[in-house]
Amino acid sequence: MALPLPPGLTPAEVAFLCEMELVTVIPRQKLDSLHLLGGPVPVLQPPLRNNVPLWLALLLKKQRRANIVPPPWLNVESLSAILDHETERAPEDFSPPPKLPPIGDESSIISPPFLPTSTADGQPNALPYHWMELGEILLEAASDDFEDVDQVRRLLRDLREARLAKLRSGIDALDSGGGKPMNGIGGMEVAEGRSFICGVIDSLRKIGAAKEMAKREREDEDRTGYQGTADDEDEDMDMLR
Amino acid sequence: MDIDDILADLDAATVPQETLDIQLLTRLWVAERVAPELLVWPDDLISRITERMSAQVELIEEQTATMDPKSSFGLIVLQTEMERVKFLVRSYLRARLAKVDAHPLYYNEGEPAGRLSVEEKQYLTAHQTLLEAHYGASFLGQFPAQLQRMDDPAGGISMVETPDAERAVFVRALRDAGLVRMPGRDESWDVKRGDVRVVRWSAVRDLVEIGDLELI
Repeated sequence: MALPLPPGLTPAEVAFLCEMELVTVIPRQKLDSLHLLGGPVPVLQPPLRNNVPLWLALLLKKQRRANIVPPPWLNVESLSAILDHETERAPEDFSPPPKLPPIGDESSIISPPFLPTSTADGQPNALPYHWMELGEILLEAASDDFEDVDQVRRLLRDLREARLAKLRSGIDALDSGGGKPMNGIGGMEVAEGRSFICGVIDSLRKIGAAKEMAKREREDEDRTGYQGTADDEDEDMDMLR
Repeated sequence: MDIDDILADLDAATVPQETLDIQLLTRLWVAERVAPELLVWPDDLISRITERMSAQVELIEEQTATMDPKSSFGLIVLQTEMERVKFLVRSYLRARLAKVDAHPLYYNEGEPAGRLSVEEKQYLTAHQTLLEAHYGASFLGQFPAQLQRMDDPAGGISMVETPDAERAVFVRALRDAGLVRMPGRDESWDVKRGDVRVVRWSAVRDLVEIGDLELI
């Protein structure tokens, strides 16, 4: 019964998370309000737009009950601008994520996938956390709602490659304490890089464990004023063994 | 049950509790899938969600029985969402169970035992009793008495294996949280909302628990 998977989300689980993102739909048929476990769904009345979770939007789309409005960042113009930013203007970092809304209720700060970054009024010039998954899913399920599917698909692929190269170059900066900041990284990219990045950090930590412990001891001694003896060296060697 | 009545009860400006609960469960699920050790069991949250789930099952069964063709699509939506939540709860419980199974003696007593739910505790005790009886009968019984323990702390090294709290994890800052010392590095991390970093679990565990950071 216990989960036989290693730590970290699998790509399928990331896609599952991504399906909780809100997207905008234009209903083609009326659908009464439903009371779901995750809260009420508004009445869908054509031709009024509504924001619903992606999984529901896909269900509606499959049954031809609604059209999906592509998020403002998922079109040729926005993606080209972001790609330009990624490759030309900031070749080191990931492009900045969408602006965070002000913190409303202190007790429940929302984060992806619940931020409305991919609805029709989302920010057009930033990639949301689940950009890769969302792009793939929408292009697959609702390609007729896009204007230039092939071009969008090509840009997504270019973006993916550009960012993957950054993820790889970030490996040089890894040490036993962690890596450089990765603001703007996507969910699927985390899932992809996790086992390698965390594996490198953990291995470096194990290799450097004796050194780190000696350093900590030295710091403690400095604080207490105790002068270490020559035995310290031997202890370090013991730990290595 | 009349849906309009329920909707009327809800203040349009505030996010309903059930939405918050599902969001929280999602966050806890990700955290549990990622964290190297078991996190605290959210008793209230799970009982609220399971209560709503059984009410929803009843509603679905009721609607299936009447089989109104007009509401059949609504029913599909209800069932689909139900399956999604079921997956979330199940995967969450299974991820926890895997950790309990990996370090049973560690979670058997002391502070770590407090993070288990009642059911998990029952499972752990029953499982350990069976295992101990089996080990005792098959080989431990043949050993000298002083070598029969499985949690012997003698000799400076405890036999009880613990989860690796130093493992690297991906975290995201939910709010500004000041400076965090990063063991193994000379610099500190000035936590700003939205930051994503790879750090050691031991360095951020407390901040994750109070909700300043979340695991991704």
